[in-house]
Amino acid sequence: MTWEAVIGLEAHVQLSTKTKLFSRASTSFGADPNTNVNLVDCGLPGVLPTVNREAFYKAIRFGLAIDATINQTSHFDRKNYFYPDLPKGYQITQMERPIVLGGFVEINVDGIKKIINITRAHLEEDAGKSIHDADPNNSLIDLNRAGTPLLEIVSEPEISSAKEAVAYMKALHQLITFLDVSDGNMSQGSMRCDANVSIRKAGSQELGTRTEIKNINSFRFIEKAINFEIKRQIRVLESGDKIIQETRLYDSVKDETRPMRTKEFANDYRYFPEPDLLPIVISNEEIEEIKNNFPELPKHKKIRYLNDLQLSENDAEILSSTKSLSVIFEELLNTGNNAVLAARWLVGDVSALLNKDQIEIEESKLDAKLISELLKNIENNTISGKIAKEVLEECYQTGASPNSVIESKGLKQITNTNELQSILQDIVNANPEQVNQFKSGKDKLFGYFVGQAMKATQGKGNPELINKILRELLAK
Amino acid sequence: MLANKEITPSELTEESISLAKRYASLNCFNVINEEAAIAQSRNLSFDSNNLLSCIPIAHKDLFCIKDLETTCSSKILEGYKPPYTATVVKNLENAGCITIAKTNMDEFAMGSSNETSYFGNVHNPWLKNHVPGGSSGGAAASVASGIVPLATGTDTGGSIRQPAALCNLTGLKPTYGRISRWGMIAFASSLDQAGPIAHTAKDCAIALDAMTGHDSKDSTSLHLGKTTTLETLEKHTSLTLGIVKEFNGQLSAEMELAFQKSIMTYQSLGYKIKEITLPNIKYSVPTYYVIAPAECSSNLSRFDGVRFGFRSKNIQNLEDLYVKSRSEGFGNEVKRRILIGTYVLSAGYYDAYYKKAQQVRRLIAEDFNSAFKECDLILTPTSPGTTFAFDSKGSKDPTELYLEDLFTIAANLAGIPAISVPQAFVNNLPSGHQLIGPHLSESAILQTAHHFQLNSDWHLKSPSMESFL
Amino acid sequence: MDQNSAQKIESDLDVILSMIDELQEVDTSKIEPMFSPIEQTAIVYDDVISSDNLKEDFLTQAPNSDNNFFKVPKVVE
Repeated sequence: MTWEAVIGLEAHVQLSTKTKLFSRASTSFGADPNTNVNLVDCGLPGVLPTVNREAFYKAIRFGLAIDATINQTSHFDRKNYFYPDLPKGYQITQMERPIVLGGFVEINVDGIKKIINITRAHLEEDAGKSIHDADPNNSLIDLNRAGTPLLEIVSEPEISSAKEAVAYMKALHQLITFLDVSDGNMSQGSMRCDANVSIRKAGSQELGTRTEIKNINSFRFIEKAINFEIKRQIRVLESGDKIIQETRLYDSVKDETRPMRTKEFANDYRYFPEPDLLPIVISNEEIEEIKNNFPELPKHKKIRYLNDLQLSENDAEILSSTKSLSVIFEELLNTGNNAVLAARWLVGDVSALLNKDQIEIEESKLDAKLISELLKNIENNTISGKIAKEVLEECYQTGASPNSVIESKGLKQITNTNELQSILQDIVNANPEQVNQFKSGKDKLFGYFVGQAMKATQGKGNPELINKILRELLAK
Repeated sequence: MLANKEITPSELTEESISLAKRYASLNCFNVINEEAAIAQSRNLSFDSNNLLSCIPIAHKDLFCIKDLETTCSSKILEGYKPPYTATVVKNLENAGCITIAKTNMDEFAMGSSNETSYFGNVHNPWLKNHVPGGSSGGAAASVASGIVPLATGTDTGGSIRQPAALCNLTGLKPTYGRISRWGMIAFASSLDQAGPIAHTAKDCAIALDAMTGHDSKDSTSLHLGKTTTLETLEKHTSLTLGIVKEFNGQLSAEMELAFQKSIMTYQSLGYKIKEITLPNIKYSVPTYYVIAPAECSSNLSRFDGVRFGFRSKNIQNLEDLYVKSRSEGFGNEVKRRILIGTYVLSAGYYDAYYKKAQQVRRLIAEDFNSAFKECDLILTPTSPGTTFAFDSKGSKDPTELYLEDLFTIAANLAGIPAISVPQAFVNNLPSGHQLIGPHLSESAILQTAHHFQLNSDWHLKSPSMESFL
Repeated sequence: MDQNSAQKIESDLDVILSMIDELQEVDTSKIEPMFSPIEQTAIVYDDVISSDNLKEDFLTQAPNSDNNFFKVPKVVE
């Protein structure tokens, strides 16, 4: 029996607006509990929502980028259910007329391209946070997140594997970061995913019963959760049982999905149009304005990097697809650094350091100014590439400027020909046997002399000059 | 006349408060703001150019006032003190009013007799143990008894106009969106509007001009400035008043007589009388009793015992928190309406009930549009009868009380302004007639009511308060 | 809710529902629902922070809270 999986994903993306969707309280991350909460967010009696324009603009940018239809007139609905972190006892969302309809995203898995169609994307407010494990008898409620604008992006159930699901989420992630729609920081909860998973016999047109895995917040967990669920469903069906339609959670410690134990206090959400808000109309002029101010998308960046800047395929690909790196790269270009050199260092040594600590460049001590300074020192031969690696490491750890590190550690390249001449002469004089061997044909020994030269100059000798002078000396 | 020359502001406030205490058996107040009001009256200086300067006022107890108990006459909000003040209260304070008290009301504004309050019934100052009307019963009683000259009420299906009629007062429900709903605890969002209750149309005009104006905190607030109805109050033109064909025969003989007297008064003043039709008006009560409970069932979901208000003592788990707090905290009428509201919104019933009701609502609104091509204002009785005894209606059949709103509900559905004006007494008890106008016609409505009052003296009568001493 | 109250509410609801059922008589086949009496469209607001920190006010009036959080009976997910 071969089975195939049918997967649809709902991504909840927190928009990077400064204020909430229906109130002007701050959305800043990491604030003390219950300090980014105003009267409206707390759902006190007598309060009313007012709409944040920027949230609409961000949603529209996303819609335009995926070639979707923008509903220039849309409205909000109430979704009614009870939960302690939902202050009003209803969520204001868009059920009937979402701002974005249709559209598609292209994914690439193991070299195979596939289009995943998007059903819709709509705006809604986020709920607060419940903390269940801090107090033995109580759950604690923090409403800071309540009211944060979310864009819920719903895909058609056209995803067939966990790998495709990850590729799809990564493609979404790239879009939302490059479009400045969201900071996409999954560890901070800026993007969460609910996966609807069902299986059916290969080739069948009917859909099986699906389960929903809620609130997965990393690419790794998305892949594991979906893989587990597919295997579980196959096991269930092959043993003759039926799949129960239910909501499940992914437990990353045990690497399994399990049913959620709380029933939500209403399976029927009793949607009806929000009477406290009037329909929102976006004008043609506003749409034009958004189109005219569109940020450059990754695919266009890559083309520019390849054609205009002559970067390598690999460098162009990595820089164009990682928002944080591309931002730094563009800044380096602005300060006049050499493009190819900058690219090589960002993709190479800088990324290596960041990956080791698993952080983004914004979280490190490195910034464009620092990297630019380092690169300039390489470009004008003040230090060699090898020394530069040392300097970079030091700057990364301490945040000190490259110039100050070079000074304090005396790392400047030795470029004085006379100085080098005399050092190299000493080496040649001290190694007569190797000189003879080299002269009689052992070309590989050249590396030995270079090594000795590096040792003698503590790595600071300018490689090109050392080569030149050594060759002259050994040719005698 | 609201201006006072022979008395100081603090004397006036103190007089008001002492009357409130003397007539405590009226039970029209949930809380008296004694200390703050007296302090304020001592600090304010009287401004003779400002007609509301230093005037004592009572607010219906669903307007949030910072640090003053606001309960909606419900156990679930007993002791609740909001951290902010409603816009309409601020507007009146800025105009010089001094808040004396919060008035008793039907619980969460649900009712037409002020018999559903957690704090007990309010008496009609005209007749003890009889209802003042609802849901703004306390507001009406506080003005009719002479404790304050002005009170704020809210009107979702008639809750300003009907109590005004039963207490011999003038009460106005403005066009939906005229007065900000920020800080006004919501019952039915697309129907609620605040409005003034006073003795005369002129007083209502003065109050209205202070209460209105766009508020950016309320997305349903009209993009208009304050009304200027006082300025144009004395302008009278011979308007055509429409009489609704479908309302014929709804009244008892004595009520009909009183209404006819009002019609004749208008005729004698030069107004033309014309019969008009509102074909769908008979559906206004069922339409209302789908929409209002639906919206309120959702609006009242926030009363869950989590962040404020009553939380039951005997809760073992989360489900208890919701079920027990709300069962113990809400009264029966509120529970009935939440259940109806939940039902008509539920999957499978939404189209047949909620959506259907909103469609019929549009038909009713369009009926008014057509009618206003034939007449300038519509004239109807305000309520089918005068006051009635406590517990005499609604205990067997809950819809009995709903029919009190027969004449008033349609204006809320259409969002158009309407006023109740005192008219001839029936069996020595007050009654009122209603003027309904098209959107934004408050000036015409008040002019007409004022004109009526210049030529009648019903509104000048006051009850003897002996039985309440 | 005890048995008596439950029965009373049930019969009350029946009465109310049969009153509401009158609406089925009306032909609304071509009519747009009127969800609000206002025909204007929404004003939207700038993305500018303008909020006071009312944390203390909120927490002090909660039925169960500490200096930082609202507290409810434990939820097990």
